Amino acid sequence: MHDPMHDPMALDDDELPPAFRKRRGGVGGGRVWLWVTAAAALFGAILAGVSTADFISHLDRQVHSIHCSFIPGAGAQLGDSGCRTVMMSPYSSLFRDSMWGGLPISVLALAVFAYLVYRAVDLALAEDVDKRHTVFLLAATALPVLMSVIYGYISMSVIGTVCKVCAGIYVCSGVLLVGAFLSHRNAGQPTQWAHGGMGGTYARWFGEGVAYVGLLTVLYIGLAPVSEKSLEGCGTLVTTEDKSNVMIEMGTRGGDKAIAVLDPLCPACKGFDNRMEASGLMKKLDLDVVLFPLDSKCNWMVKESLHPGACLVSQAMLCDKDAAPKILAWAFEHQQELLEAAKKDENNVKRRLREEFPSVASCVGTAKAKNKVNKSLRWAVKNALPVLTPQLFVNGKRVCDEDTDLGLEFTVTKMLEGGRR
Amino acid sequence: MNPAMRTLGLAVLGIVVPAVCVVVWMGRAEKEMLAANDATADVALASASEDDYCSPRLKKVLRRVAGACGLIDGAGRGCKPGDAKNVAALSGTDFNTLFVPLSHRASIVQFDAEQVELDERAKSLVESAWSEQRGASFFFVVARASPDGNASYNQQLSQQRAEAVLNHLDQRFQDPDLRGSVGLLWLGEEYAQLDKEFCDWRRSREGDCTTKDINRSAFVAWIDCQI
Repeated sequence: MHDPMHDPMALDDDELPPAFRKRRGGVGGGRVWLWVTAAAALFGAILAGVSTADFISHLDRQVHSIHCSFIPGAGAQLGDSGCRTVMMSPYSSLFRDSMWGGLPISVLALAVFAYLVYRAVDLALAEDVDKRHTVFLLAATALPVLMSVIYGYISMSVIGTVCKVCAGIYVCSGVLLVGAFLSHRNAGQPTQWAHGGMGGTYARWFGEGVAYVGLLTVLYIGLAPVSEKSLEGCGTLVTTEDKSNVMIEMGTRGGDKAIAVLDPLCPACKGFDNRMEASGLMKKLDLDVVLFPLDSKCNWMVKESLHPGACLVSQAMLCDKDAAPKILAWAFEHQQELLEAAKKDENNVKRRLREEFPSVASCVGTAKAKNKVNKSLRWAVKNALPVLTPQLFVNGKRVCDEDTDLGLEFTVTKMLEGGRR
Repeated sequence: MNPAMRTLGLAVLGIVVPAVCVVVWMGRAEKEMLAANDATADVALASASEDDYCSPRLKKVLRRVAGACGLIDGAGRGCKPGDAKNVAALSGTDFNTLFVPLSHRASIVQFDAEQVELDERAKSLVESAWSEQRGASFFFVVARASPDGNASYNQQLSQQRAEAVLNHLDQRFQDPDLRGSVGLLWLGEEYAQLDKEFCDWRRSREGDCTTKDINRSAFVAWIDCQI
């Protein structure tokens, strides 16, 4: 049942009382802006869809290319990109401790944009639209704008990179707001008969929006694939014994013992470290690091140096274990330039280390330092670890490689819960 | 069209399209997750090295020598010439030939006549050789003496030379694995004397090198064989 006094759009002209027919308000020049709003919402929905599809594709725990372009569906990349960094950051989804990968923000964005498409098209097709209707649309478009501002800020100031798909969504949100504003400005005033309150209509429209978000959320959570393997882990350590004193304490004070196997010049380790830091997991773990440089200069298990210079940085960390967390942070920060410098001449890295950390100057390059790194590699041999980095062990149980990115928080949280049972 | 129907149609269409997409994407992800192999299955596991020169014959000799000389059980007691000759079951020349492929890994630490102390260059060479362990499992120290003097004295001399190398490594590196990794053989003058060709190998002294000089030595090398 529709009440024309409250919602005249719900009725055809011939259904209205004759006295109302020729006095209905109109959107006038605002209609074109409603279509602009609808188009912006549609474009935003497509971009949010692309982002959601990329996120969901990773729920199979494998590595996939990620679309990173302003053009929806274009620019799929397998390697590092701003979009990958953003997606792997803890800000890309909610409730990461409770479900593998969490609930992606892009799903919520998809629902909101889909709703705005529906609402804008419905208004654009309606014969009578006045400011009472367009004001709702204007208010609704404030949500994606607000989220864009928040996420744009996080992206720039916390994550330090911008994802092109996200930037596209921010632009769409801006256009949405402008379109909704101009629609509202050009909309007619309510007609004489339409003086009734819009509270019920607003509540219904708001409810529809909530239903859109709720439905997609429930669908996502209900269908997200679950892997028992993530909880069981991928193997256990043969020994956590450290006779050769190669483990480096990272200064974390959490209760549960964890060991990270890292290469200081491995980009994946840098990303892993960032994720660990941002996720707050560091506070829950008593973390030690074992160095496993993938550099053939010291590591006989790799045929060529994947990360030249990593042996030297590892030597420096083992030379002064108190300074090791600082050396690691420095190596991660200057990773690319150190790799480039080592490709030209390893002595460049040695020089940089000596300049930055005078406490290791007389130690790096000595037989004793080389021996220490060798002992670290031998710890990996004793445990028959896979020749890859990073690796994380929680209470002796190895976190599967596929769980060290999107599923990190969920997997580690569940492992910690399991360990306490 | 009835506006209410239009609104309803749009509302349904608006949610069904993304919902169908989510269902399809999720289905695909689950299918691929189930089909995916263990991601680490194809990744090599960390292990000690096994170089190309590790022929079955070399490994057999190494295993017998290492076992008989207490290396495999970690006792590190060492082998005297008679033991080495018996367990190797090879002529001295054949024994030395087995080590030829190790030329890039071996160093020869030289001593003065009748001396057992390591000079600075000898110490440096031993440290350098030890620090180049890489994936090797065993470090052999094969000490000898030149044929001057009597055999019993030379046997004792070569034993002290081998132990001088071990003691220096122990002092310098304080490595808990050292005793279980180092195999000592002292051959005196009786077995497997080095010929002059070994003067071309990496050694602690430069300049002239006679057969006597090269046998007043300890041959040190990491063996990249899993025995």
